[in-house]
Amino acid sequence: MTLELLEGSEAIATSAIAAGCRFFAGYPMSPFTGLLENMSRQLPAAGGVCLNAESEIEGVNMTLGAAAAGARAATGSCGQGIALMQEAIAEAALNETPFVVFNMARNQQDYFQATRGGGWGDYRTITLAPKDVPEAVEHAQLAFHLADKHRAPVIFYGDPLLAQTRIGVSVRPLDFGPLPPKDWALDGTGGGTGRSRQVWTWAMGKATDPGPGPDRHWRAIAEKFAAIDAIETRSEQAHVEDAETLVVAFGSAAKFVEYVVEELRADGHRIGWFRPVTLWPFPGGALAAATAGVRRVLVFELNAGQMLDDVRIHAADRSAVRFIGGVSIAESGLAYGDLMDAPVIRDRILTACSEGGRS
Amino acid sequence: MERELVVTGVGGQGIQLLAKTLALAATREGRHAMLSADYGGEMRGGPSKASVVIGDRPLRALPVLASAWSAIVVHHRFSEPALARLRPGGPAILNLPLVAPASLPAMTTYGVDAGAVAKSVEAPQAIGFVLLGAYNAVTRLVDPASLVAAMQELLPPYRKQHAAANARALAAGAAVLDGPGADLTEVSR
Amino acid sequence: MTVIDTSQPPSEPARKVADFRPSLLLGEHSLCPGCGEPVALRVLLEVLQELDIVQRTIGVVGHGCYGSFVRIMDVDVLQCLHGRAPACATGIKRVRPDCAVFTMQGDGDMANEGLQEVLHAAARGEKITCVLLNNGVFGDTGGQLTAATVLGQRTKTSLEGRDAETHGYPIPVADLVAGLRGAAYVARGAVSTAGAVAQTKRMLRRAFETQLAGAGFSLVEILTMCPTGWFVPASEGPGYLGDSMEQAYPLGELTTWRH
Repeated sequence: MTLELLEGSEAIATSAIAAGCRFFAGYPMSPFTGLLENMSRQLPAAGGVCLNAESEIEGVNMTLGAAAAGARAATGSCGQGIALMQEAIAEAALNETPFVVFNMARNQQDYFQATRGGGWGDYRTITLAPKDVPEAVEHAQLAFHLADKHRAPVIFYGDPLLAQTRIGVSVRPLDFGPLPPKDWALDGTGGGTGRSRQVWTWAMGKATDPGPGPDRHWRAIAEKFAAIDAIETRSEQAHVEDAETLVVAFGSAAKFVEYVVEELRADGHRIGWFRPVTLWPFPGGALAAATAGVRRVLVFELNAGQMLDDVRIHAADRSAVRFIGGVSIAESGLAYGDLMDAPVIRDRILTACSEGGRS
Repeated sequence: MERELVVTGVGGQGIQLLAKTLALAATREGRHAMLSADYGGEMRGGPSKASVVIGDRPLRALPVLASAWSAIVVHHRFSEPALARLRPGGPAILNLPLVAPASLPAMTTYGVDAGAVAKSVEAPQAIGFVLLGAYNAVTRLVDPASLVAAMQELLPPYRKQHAAANARALAAGAAVLDGPGADLTEVSR
Repeated sequence: MTVIDTSQPPSEPARKVADFRPSLLLGEHSLCPGCGEPVALRVLLEVLQELDIVQRTIGVVGHGCYGSFVRIMDVDVLQCLHGRAPACATGIKRVRPDCAVFTMQGDGDMANEGLQEVLHAAARGEKITCVLLNNGVFGDTGGQLTAATVLGQRTKTSLEGRDAETHGYPIPVADLVAGLRGAAYVARGAVSTAGAVAQTKRMLRRAFETQLAGAGFSLVEILTMCPTGWFVPASEGPGYLGDSMEQAYPLGELTTWRH
């Protein structure tokens, strides 16, 4: 396995193209810009198209169009730009158009945005939160697979560390299993046959072949997301068996927490970690089991406490949950602040553990 | 074994290229490497920092290093935060005279007047490569030939004419410290 | 040249044009009496058939009364978000360049919600055909002011008539688009008279021919009657259109691409 030294953005772009992504449209915004530039450089050679869209709204709607026509398509931005895309993400969830949204976020403040939806209607967005560049390479392909599997938009939640760190990685196509055929996709051949296709949030069908209509369609969509919730949760954990303290974190922050917990473990602390890999569906069952025997559950995230809600919902004993994260932004506003640092995280964990007994 | 290097100085001194060259050289040798860059918006004059981690297995190190084994200090300005994370005893290459010889008492320090060495081999722009050559002579992290190949690979087409001067700078830097490097074989790969 | 033999009576008696229904129409429309939009749909579908591109055409339909046409047109269709049809059509065309891709949008959809989409698509020279059904009001919501409502027009949000002091001036979309280099064919027609319908059909045909030739972006703005939204009897719609909208929006070709 030959390793290539790739910047995260380039590794993610390369991986998405290896997964068959053939259309990309985005609007420059740091730290997403690197992904857009790499797509723009690489997609034409792969027979694809990358457009520097005139706005985020146009970018996501171009992507929706390309996906509705059957292509593996993606867009991206950071949280600020994805706020503008929410209407189209909701639309795609409801009219069942699969594409990938790369949120190369500036920080972890987009957890609610990713997991609660920002558009209208009863939908969720499957959200993958890789912890480092090698996992981002895997998730860049898994995201397309899950999108096609469930005919739903999928969010890839990255950050500046994933976008800008250069690391030796190997990118090759990954096989996640068979997918249903895209027989619903618009290819133009349905015209005049009496069986022309339609992609429509209201799903009312054609006069000669009525669809379920909004009531039945939207109930079916809600049921679909309930089914996804039941089967697509992913999580990782370590040292849970004898842990008195469990630290919960996602994305890059989880990589830092894992590093610190392993150090503390070596120092004799009875501590473990838990990482939701999918932010939605949230691995609530796994978290409930992992927290069953612990005295305290510490939540570390670089925001004012967003995943904290989900941890409280699912922890075996919600009174054991403590928040040790916080808002932390670099002076530039474009990257993490001082809180994303192993010594700082170590201090916060030890302080929380000293409140109410040694861990 | 993972080895971490922090390079710190001022934008325009060739810090990012130096770090990238080392990371690429290790990658081309089939090893695991990680490079984290940290620099302001300015092309020149602002803080510039990079860290490189090299190992023979998938790396455990974080993209924001908790601590580092070694350093190349190209300029004393802006260097304090990076140097505060060095583990005592490791090697540090100091760019004389911009960096005071006694500035890192807990480290095994090697002073190199990179500016003078670079001029002596008619490569005045290549002080970064002088320091990298010296660093690798001490640490033996990669084969010197890998550094030359990585440097050539990284040069954009419009800078290809600098390849020979850069190679001379790498060799001249190594020549300065080839002696003491023999004492550090236990930390080589 | 075909010479019609008039020495004998025709084999079939004459029929009204209105009795024909293009086979691409799957059913009756459900819009108000006197509405101009079904006429525009009909000529659009006839053009697709005459150009023999029915089985490689994808439509993108916005939000307005005409949105219900997705149920009665036998064409592959994406019903998209309000105003975003040119962006969606861009994505479709870029991954299916062999298809003919068109949008159907009203003036509320194109001039209000999605003006930047159509302008950007035109400037890019996107090889799609945008069809603007301009009746100068929001028909679907019951007759409110749009960005294309002509001066003096009474609507439910300009009860005394649109005056420039309060509501500003109407936007001539076709003229804006015609000012962009990427636009290869831009025309404005109407469906208020038999002659105008025939002219509009020729415009649509040229627009699609422009797209199929890969020459660039094409747009046909079609002035359509909305007697309900204008608060006039259905029978007076065509005459009212001629007296009001046609005065503000002159008919004709603004940009033509030559073979």
